[in-house]
Amino acid sequence: MSLADPSSAGAIASDEGGHRVWATRFAGRRWPLFKLVLGTGALTVLTLGIYRFWQKTRVRRWLWSAIRPGGYPLEYAGDPLEKLLGFLIAVVILAFYIGIVNLLLMFASFALFQGNYAAYALSLVGVFPIWFYARYRARRYILARTRWLGLRFGLEPGAWGFAIRALWHGFLALITAGLLWPRMTFKLEQYRTNRTFFGETRMHQDGRWTMLYGAMKWHFINLPIAFGGLICIGANEALALPILTLGAVLWLYAAVYYRVETRIRLTNHKRAGALRLRLTASPLRIFWILASGHTLALLVSALPTLILLGLFLELQSLETLVEMGLENTPPIFAGLNRTALIALSVMAYFSIFLVWTACTQAWVTLPLIRHYAQGLEVIGTEAMATFGQRPRDDHPEAEGFAEALDVGASL
Amino acid sequence: MSFAAEAIHLDGESGQPIRLTVTVDNTHQSLTGPGLHWPLNTIRELPDTAGGDLVILSRTENAVERLILKDSAIRAHLPCRRRSAPVANRPLLLKWAAAAMGSVALILFVLVPIMADQLANYIPPEGERALGQVTLNEIREALDDSGLEPVRFCTDPDGLTALRRIEARLSGEADLPVEITVHILDHEMVNAFALPGGHIVFFRGLIEQAGAPDELAAVFAHEMGHVASRDPTRHALRSAGSIGVLGLLFGDFAGGAVVLFLAERLIDAQYSQTAEAAADVFAHDLMRRAGLSPGALATIFERFAALDGDTRTFMQHFMSHPALGDRIERARRAVPAGLLPEPLMGDADWAALQTICSRTARN
Repeated sequence: MSLADPSSAGAIASDEGGHRVWATRFAGRRWPLFKLVLGTGALTVLTLGIYRFWQKTRVRRWLWSAIRPGGYPLEYAGDPLEKLLGFLIAVVILAFYIGIVNLLLMFASFALFQGNYAAYALSLVGVFPIWFYARYRARRYILARTRWLGLRFGLEPGAWGFAIRALWHGFLALITAGLLWPRMTFKLEQYRTNRTFFGETRMHQDGRWTMLYGAMKWHFINLPIAFGGLICIGANEALALPILTLGAVLWLYAAVYYRVETRIRLTNHKRAGALRLRLTASPLRIFWILASGHTLALLVSALPTLILLGLFLELQSLETLVEMGLENTPPIFAGLNRTALIALSVMAYFSIFLVWTACTQAWVTLPLIRHYAQGLEVIGTEAMATFGQRPRDDHPEAEGFAEALDVGASL
Repeated sequence: MSFAAEAIHLDGESGQPIRLTVTVDNTHQSLTGPGLHWPLNTIRELPDTAGGDLVILSRTENAVERLILKDSAIRAHLPCRRRSAPVANRPLLLKWAAAAMGSVALILFVLVPIMADQLANYIPPEGERALGQVTLNEIREALDDSGLEPVRFCTDPDGLTALRRIEARLSGEADLPVEITVHILDHEMVNAFALPGGHIVFFRGLIEQAGAPDELAAVFAHEMGHVASRDPTRHALRSAGSIGVLGLLFGDFAGGAVVLFLAERLIDAQYSQTAEAAADVFAHDLMRRAGLSPGALATIFERFAALDGDTRTFMQHFMSHPALGDRIERARRAVPAGLLPEPLMGDADWAALQTICSRTARN
């Protein structure tokens, strides 16, 4: 049998305590994704952004189909037109909020505080609940459009409940100087997981919030270093810089470590009916993917940036010639007139963004998903026949709010 | 020509994948297998599948049922595999598109301007000055080419004294609601503008291009007209409202910044036409009362027009004031018969004013 097949493909399936375990294969490679993102990105620019709904759909379809637990690809069944519709609905609602509220805040802030910082702060506070609301709605939409083995996933409505809990737990984490941060992480994930369905089967988040405390390890290790660096600023400035740099790098690593480690612990305590999950992932590996991928993307996008700089200098010199009344003297860059130069500059400007997104998708997003996917195992798959289909969730505004607020629905 | 291949059938009812052999039945034009009968023209292939190793098929009658094959030769038997699904909910889509455009237009062109105009009347003087100060700093940052520090102020003391002469002559007659603060920015742009709270800004380019003191006075009077009608305050409040909405519309993608800029400029040009005309009328009147000729405004506008013709650039096209010819004409007609302008300053003062940027300061 050539197809991925749980009964015969030994690499994919194994036995453990009487349960069948499926490993996850990742079938995507960088170059096809790079080309897909670049091509759809170019179309997005040419259509003044309208194609972005198609771009998002196509990239997700590709990524989902690359993730294959037990050899069976996930499917993303989202529709670009429903995304466009959702965006339009969000625009109708949010345009009022953003236009009028921004104006009022600006007025109030200058009238009462003689500065615009109050307006920024207030509008940020006003956006927070909506931001969490949008994130939940986006997740609901994405799950409703994700399928595996022909079964739909789903997320129950509850976006406002999520937003309120997020604010409350965030507040608690803030006033305890971060000591209750793991509690927030756990409670919010529990809220979402307990409302998630695979087919008609509800998922459950087991475990306790205290099990996430170990994920804070590197933050605690970093604490004396950061303090030491701050003390050195006053005492010994030559020593302060290297110590603070070390502290900053460690802090970044601690943040990555926390994210990866909590994800592992939370995933290992999730179940849906007879199915359980097991995730292995290396925080160091994730840190390396993030660091090297972004560096590479920066280097590659530096190329169009340099071209743009060159074109700018060319334009400047052309302007200088005109200012000096010398525009009729034959220029060095014969044949290139001003309009062509401007067109080239605009193209270079866009290509910086295009190359950047394509590079980060190919060198950051893909390796991250691959690393997580290859470490994911599904336990108890002999019970697949007991899982039934769930009805379609129409979700009329799709992820419109998330799109409009740019909450980065994390794919 | 017959086709048979191993496949996995996902029936969309349970999570159990079913292995089977499918064959193409050419007489019935269908793909068949145990308990499976798919007419070939209803079969579609899922696009954008990674890996290139699988062919995933769906059929139009069922939203969730799938067939997964490894044998790509199946594609030759599927005439409609790439045909896309018909657009569902087209009227709904159009309705919301119209609603979105309508509400954005309503907000940008009706609600935000009305509210800005109303609020501009209630903002206290300190708040207005702070708004102007913030905007001035933003402009100085934005105009900086070097990326090192904001555009500098010109501070030659003799030049400033000469400038004060113009200011004193005009503000004595102007009766403005707020106190005027004048700034000269060390930048080659040939332009001047007013900001909320009585800030009036001249660029070095304008001072260098002006042929005589009364031409600068005419521009000064025009900007005072904006201050008197609180145009800049309304303008700043409108921008605060509309920038967010436009950003929402065009998204954060590459085009965002550019489209945002152009759209903002276009809106700006549209609602400032009447404001410009009113400021011109204010300037004509003020110049006459200060014993100066409104014709000076026409002269400096003609210089703008001449410059514009020489170095018309992409940006200037959007920034240039509309219908300059009409405004020149009106300024000429505003000159009273038999007017003898009283000179503003001597040659030495004028020379000092023109070289006001020989000294600059950061603040």
